[in-house]
Amino acid sequence: MSLKTRLDYIEFYACKLKKDNSFFNQQKMLIESQLQSSSSLFKKMFVSQRNFKNNARKYLKGIGLI
Amino acid sequence: MQDSKKGYVIEKDTIIIQRDLTELDLFVKKFLNILKKHADYLIISGFVSIATGRTRGTEDVDILVPVMHKEKFSKLFNDLSQNDFWCYQGDSPLRVYENIKNLNSVRFAKKNEIFPNMELVPFDQTKKAKSFEFSHPRKIKIKDFEFKIPPLEFEILYKEIILKGKKDMEDARHLRTFFSEIIKKEKFNEYEPIIRSELK
Repeated sequence: MSLKTRLDYIEFYACKLKKDNSFFNQQKMLIESQLQSSSSLFKKMFVSQRNFKNNARKYLKGIGLI
Repeated sequence: MQDSKKGYVIEKDTIIIQRDLTELDLFVKKFLNILKKHADYLIISGFVSIATGRTRGTEDVDILVPVMHKEKFSKLFNDLSQNDFWCYQGDSPLRVYENIKNLNSVRFAKKNEIFPNMELVPFDQTKKAKSFEFSHPRKIKIKDFEFKIPPLEFEILYKEIILKGKKDMEDARHLRTFFSEIIKKEKFNEYEPIIRSELK
């Protein structure tokens, strides 16, 4: 299989995963790493401040999420 | 191929994904355990792909819920608050309920966290595609975490026809490939007009 595009890689990986569930270990590491980075970033940004929710809402308004 | 090595197996119509739970799964599971006491639900969109092996980050997990009465929503809101979830849209259930009533999403995250968040997407009978997928759930299980998702063919077509973003097309390709042995052409034909009705 010639892998040229991102979709080719996604298809290739899905085929591997279907036949061998040990590939899920890699996926778990990547997903948890992203969660931990995000959590650590926002904790640094807001948790040390007194009012987490108000500051978080200001930020979320700023990025258009609320 | 030995079943124990496969990415998934089917047991009594339930898709069993053969992997360990991630921190993201545990977050969703905790939220669902509370939500299920108050309302029915369907997990849709990105988490369906990620739960079945797509390797990408996500900030929100989308959940369809039928629009509910104010009192019912208040009980859900208070239960979530007591279990360390906070709501982006506000601290008053009655005020936040205005979003639900108007079919606008509301988001909840764990205390002192912003991401990931659970996005409750309310719908009513005027939303034909959402009503259809909600009433045709498919069960999926990872270890002891069981939840409901749309029919796979519906989820794939919704991403390809309605959402159409780069991430959505990649998710659709993942689902088409990973589940190639169990997805059915006739189901695509059946679901396509229902999904296209959302474009009108």
